[in-house]
Amino acid sequence: MSASIPLGQPEAIAEHTGTEPGGRPGGAYLRRLARSPMLRVVGRRLLIAIPVLWGVTLLTFIVENALPGDAAEALLGANATPAEIKVLSIKLHLNEPLLVRYWHWFWAALHGNLGYSLYSGQPVASIVAQRLPVTIDLIIYALVLSLVISVPLGLLCARRPGGVVDRAIMALCMAGLSIAPIVLALLLLQVFSGYLHNLLPALASGTGNNLRDLTMPALSLALPLAAFYIRFLRADLIEQMSEDYAVTALAKGLSRWRVLTRHALRNSFIGLLTVIGYNLATLIGVTVIAESIFGLAGLGNELLQAIQHRDVPLLEGIVLVFAGFVVLVNLVTDLLYGVLDPRIRHGRARS
Amino acid sequence: MAGPVASLVLGLPDAAGGSPQPQPQSRGRGLLRTLEITIPGALLLVLLFFCFIWPLVYPVPSPTYGSVLNANLPIWSPGHIFGTTNVGYDNMARILYGGRTTFEVAAGVQGIGLVVGGLLGVIAGYAGRIVESVLMRVLDILIAFPALVLILVIADSLGQSEMHVIWALCAFSIPATARVARAGTLRLRDQPFVVAARLSGVKAWRIISGHIVPNLMPQLLTFSLLGTGIVIIIESGLDFLGYGIPDPAPSWGGMIAYGQTVMSVSLSPLIVPSLFLFGTVVCLNLLGDGLRGRWGVR
Amino acid sequence: MAGPLGQLGRRPGGTSVASSGARDAAGPGQQPGVPLLEVSDLRVRFRSRGETVHAVQGISYTVEPGRTLAIIGESGSGKTVSAYAVLGLLPRTAQVSGSIRFKGVEIVGLGERELREHRGRNVAMVFQNPERSLNPTMKVGNQITEAVRRHLPLGREQARERAIELLQTVRIPAAERRFHEYPHQLSGGMRQRVIIAIALACEPALLIADEATTALDVTTQAQIMDLLLDLQAQLGTALVMISHDLALAASYAEDIMVMYAGRVVEQACAEDLFASVRMPYTRALLDAVPRVDLEPHVLLPVVGGLPPDLSKVAPGCSFAPRCPEAQPDCQAAMPPLEEHETGHWWACWHPCTKEAPGELGE
Repeated sequence: MSASIPLGQPEAIAEHTGTEPGGRPGGAYLRRLARSPMLRVVGRRLLIAIPVLWGVTLLTFIVENALPGDAAEALLGANATPAEIKVLSIKLHLNEPLLVRYWHWFWAALHGNLGYSLYSGQPVASIVAQRLPVTIDLIIYALVLSLVISVPLGLLCARRPGGVVDRAIMALCMAGLSIAPIVLALLLLQVFSGYLHNLLPALASGTGNNLRDLTMPALSLALPLAAFYIRFLRADLIEQMSEDYAVTALAKGLSRWRVLTRHALRNSFIGLLTVIGYNLATLIGVTVIAESIFGLAGLGNELLQAIQHRDVPLLEGIVLVFAGFVVLVNLVTDLLYGVLDPRIRHGRARS
Repeated sequence: MAGPVASLVLGLPDAAGGSPQPQPQSRGRGLLRTLEITIPGALLLVLLFFCFIWPLVYPVPSPTYGSVLNANLPIWSPGHIFGTTNVGYDNMARILYGGRTTFEVAAGVQGIGLVVGGLLGVIAGYAGRIVESVLMRVLDILIAFPALVLILVIADSLGQSEMHVIWALCAFSIPATARVARAGTLRLRDQPFVVAARLSGVKAWRIISGHIVPNLMPQLLTFSLLGTGIVIIIESGLDFLGYGIPDPAPSWGGMIAYGQTVMSVSLSPLIVPSLFLFGTVVCLNLLGDGLRGRWGVR
Repeated sequence: MAGPLGQLGRRPGGTSVASSGARDAAGPGQQPGVPLLEVSDLRVRFRSRGETVHAVQGISYTVEPGRTLAIIGESGSGKTVSAYAVLGLLPRTAQVSGSIRFKGVEIVGLGERELREHRGRNVAMVFQNPERSLNPTMKVGNQITEAVRRHLPLGREQARERAIELLQTVRIPAAERRFHEYPHQLSGGMRQRVIIAIALACEPALLIADEATTALDVTTQAQIMDLLLDLQAQLGTALVMISHDLALAASYAEDIMVMYAGRVVEQACAEDLFASVRMPYTRALLDAVPRVDLEPHVLLPVVGGLPPDLSKVAPGCSFAPRCPEAQPDCQAAMPPLEEHETGHWWACWHPCTKEAPGELGE
């Protein structure tokens, strides 16, 4: 059966060939077209990231040095004489003006030299490298746990909104969102190490390399996250199920559950991933608390120490790493969004 | 949004045939809704009363004065309902006064966030182009910074005091509110009634104050309300870590930290402040959610 | 291509075998043989917050295999709700009573599992909004194979072949390439074709097109309608087209049923209907269609007012408040739908009597 195209009618012709205006669909050309919007996004993000990172480090430096509370004082302790403090200050360049000090640090950092910790004397870079894996492991573990919990529960809620299961899960989520991480962590500590004695160890081993050791801290992070994600997923899934394409799917004879999992979830998942990405900055903050409570040898704990000792180089180094991490994650999230959503993957959508 | 076709499958009658009702159930639902708002609201009011007004009328013992002879009394002791600390301070008083700080900090942070952040956001959204870019970049820096880290740094270098805690937490609330305000302003700016006002030459600040702000208020208020819970949680974290309210002064986070140290001996010093913290945040969240539903804000 | 009222009945060059035979028989409800779809006294009520909305108030019609029925009405007339009832897609908040028989099997009251078998296999639907009726994150081809494999025992490769075949049948060029594309890469007309392909995946005996061409431009509209008719001819599918466009129905439908406020107000085969329009509402719909032979810059006669609130059922004729021919007795009692002339049913106390003066120029 041949298509009958009325002559001289541009809409009909366009519809017939289905090409984008002005382009013959050659494979390589299309691929190039498809990638460029994404590259532009990536490029723009990177460009923005640089001043952001710089701003972050500058801000930290200023804030940390703005008021009294000297590193030298902290190092030498309460009993130091003013003379000793002064000697140490000069030795650590602490008497130079703020911006000069910042410049020293910045210049060195640009060359990859993050300086030495004022407290321990060790190179900042190596301290960071040593502590970073634990924190990264913890964060990833927590994220995975939160997804494992939230996706099925979110689906269950959306399956029958207003039903018993939905209400129960929503109530739990409300509790999960309202509980402070400190309370949750201590609760988990109490429940698992106190009552279910040998299920999970109370204190993580010093390095936290063991997956088992990380489970409780990860859980204390994952549960509030999961509560948040479940609420988001539920709302988004319900909205997706009210879209026209869901009706089309139902009209094919598919069950509601199938439409939920095979159609709605696809669309909601993209949104969920972006929410996760943009939430990551907050997650880092809570990680610090978790590391403190569970005594993990991670970057968060190190940060607390650095603040206490007014160990500026170390502090800057850690802050830089954290901020860089956040920026990186935002970037990856943007990229993922572009990759996963076919409308964006192929550049501007045809109307 | 549900299209007309999909609305049918969901059970919303035809547009012309009757008012579309999302809940197929009867009046019980409306009652539940109201309860969801009134009960948490009432509980919060009761708590506020006890924290702020009660000590004025009833001789509540000082939270920072006590005799060591009275130390470590357990819960339900006569005269000290929640027991005492290891130096004899009355826990009930500490809860009440700690609550005061909690609410003061929350109100301060959210208030400043609402005003300053809201203003920044509206300006950014309305002015557009350069102003918006600059403002947004600055705010982006603040957002990129893990909030807690920034707060820790600020709180530590500023020293421990309630006001400083408020400043530190504003680093979180101002950018967050600004974002919401900006998004809302952008959306409102292209609404026909605003465009009409702009075209007829109405001055910018008038449009903002007369059109944009009133329409933005429900959204901003519910956002602030919902954010209050988070602020309280973060503040308790600060106190817990030792960077917030200085020591003899009571704070719930601080009490929880103390509770942790005696966890193996007695649980009540941990449980009592935890319950109050949890209860307050739950009520705030429920209230915020309920109001959001009632006012139809997204 | 058939212009609005320029040509009554089927467009030239395409008549289905089944329809030309059935043409000569009497009007709806009186066909000999087993009807494909038999709707009797269908009523649909929605209850919410203590209110009851009477969306459909007792409609009856029959569709023979291979024929085309047009259900005409404005928003709120209940036309879409009745179609959803045929598909079993109404939610549990809807109370359906009456009878819908598909090939003799009762649909009303069927369990969800049986309804899932029924949907897509026996009856399929083409929806109004091509923009939103396809999943944006799923390849077009996969959306078709999903429909295919739901009811037919085909493997992945076979399903894929069938999907490509379907794409070709709905006249999408470069079908193999299109299979792997996403909805946003296709134009509106093509998306509608894909939806038709999905609907026809399991060769249902009945196809319901709910305002299928309303969102398309006129040229595409004609193409899609022609496609539907060709497919009908090929596959012998019966078609129920739901629309508010009487002119469209004139060009493509054999039987016409006009609905207003949940009831059928006029029902006849197309010829009879346009030969002598009886119901003032139908007349008003006809008059509102712009025509070539009208004076330029003349105001089109539009029906004033709004459709009634279906949660309150008034005693008299639902159209009375807006009817130009209304008399006092119209408000008093509801006129019943009766076969006043052979094959032509209407529900009106004071129908139009004059024959339409040759406006449907043959």
